[in-house]
Amino acid sequence: MTDNASHLGATLQDFLDGRLDAARQAEVRAHLEGCAQCRGELEAVRWVRDVALKQLPTQDVPPALAARVAAALNAAHEQTERAGGRTVGRRWGRWAGAGALLAAAAVAFLLVVKPGEGGATLPEAAARDFTAYRDGTLPLALHTSDGAAVEALFVSAGLPFTTRVFDLGMMHYQLQGGLVHRLRGRPSALYVYRGPEGSEVVCQMFPGRLAELPRTADVREHDGIAFHVYRVEGVTLVFWQEGGVVCVLASDAESEAVIRLAYAKAVRV
Amino acid sequence: MSWKREAFEAAALPFMRALYNTALRLTREPADAADLVQETFLRAYRTFEHFTPGSNCKAWLFTILYSIFTNQYHQAKRRPRMESVEELEERFHQFAHAPEDPASDITTVVGWGSRWSPEVERALRQLPEDFRTPLLLVDVEGLSYEEAASVLGCAVGTVGSRLFRGRKLLFAMLQDYAHQAGYGKDTSPDP
Repeated sequence: MTDNASHLGATLQDFLDGRLDAARQAEVRAHLEGCAQCRGELEAVRWVRDVALKQLPTQDVPPALAARVAAALNAAHEQTERAGGRTVGRRWGRWAGAGALLAAAAVAFLLVVKPGEGGATLPEAAARDFTAYRDGTLPLALHTSDGAAVEALFVSAGLPFTTRVFDLGMMHYQLQGGLVHRLRGRPSALYVYRGPEGSEVVCQMFPGRLAELPRTADVREHDGIAFHVYRVEGVTLVFWQEGGVVCVLASDAESEAVIRLAYAKAVRV
Repeated sequence: MSWKREAFEAAALPFMRALYNTALRLTREPADAADLVQETFLRAYRTFEHFTPGSNCKAWLFTILYSIFTNQYHQAKRRPRMESVEELEERFHQFAHAPEDPASDITTVVGWGSRWSPEVERALRQLPEDFRTPLLLVDVEGLSYEEAASVLGCAVGTVGSRLFRGRKLLFAMLQDYAHQAGYGKDTSPDP
């Protein structure tokens, strides 16, 4: 068993890392008994994993770094506290000058807004999600370029609406994967594309109506569909309605390119 | 101290040493590594609401660290490699096709795990980043394939294939060192 066609290749690593079922493991063991080349390869990668990489020196954290991290966290904490204090002060100032009806409305508002969202509008929340994804703090649950697999993820999570993961291949955007998310307290199907020159587009679908969005001067019409466009801190957001679901594309790519992507993929329902 | 700060420090700060050592191997510069770790903790603290309690905090922190690294460091700091991937893969191929040659014998040697090796560190730093990072995450930091895929933003299969190529490339770079160190022969088929 020494011809190339019969060698195990990457299966050796799956065997080494315990990623094969018992039957396949037994087959690999039987092969190794008669194949010196595969035994040699197995031992080479095993040596790298178990011996070479265990010899790496470990550096202690410099005391100055630990102090810098603590100081940075202190500063971030104080900044948050100050921002929170200013917000509360403004709210109380408004309440003092308004009637009981306004106060009641404000209490209702505070009760329905999820802590941590800080009363952000839908465009602000979607822009924040884009930034969080881009910065690596909102990881995807599934990494795949297979749209059907991402749709299956949303179905298995029991999302209360039908999702449609667009194919943007013709526009040179490749699907990266998806995540069952929440956008301002409502369930959202979130999925991501990477386009030319590494630009990223975060898409979300969630139950709602365009009427819930804040007013914008930039409302466009294409093929009988209305598109509401917002720009939040360098992120372009394009919203449109598909039945009972609102779709949004968010990206820091060039604004008109993001809008053209939305035009290309929106469907009138 | 607020509940958020206490929860964050308890969950995240124990991984500072692991983050710092990986940052050193990614950036190759202590000053850059320190900046990268500080920015990682700061960004993690600001977005701690996104962290799911009970999930792997170490993998989450590495996701943030790697994202900052790819966006801010590696384009500017990339350096020429000593030897091409193709040359190293050819060298591994030659090794694999001469397994009975005593010069190609390789083994696991009990007791070598504690030996400090500048050769391994040097070789690792010369590996192309696509192969080095999966080795750091899986073999050095002990993340699963799935966690490493999440950190790198790629498919699990991609992690596996890069890990396999990375291990073979590293072996090709270290083959002379391994033989000079006097390894014997042990080809046990157990994983």
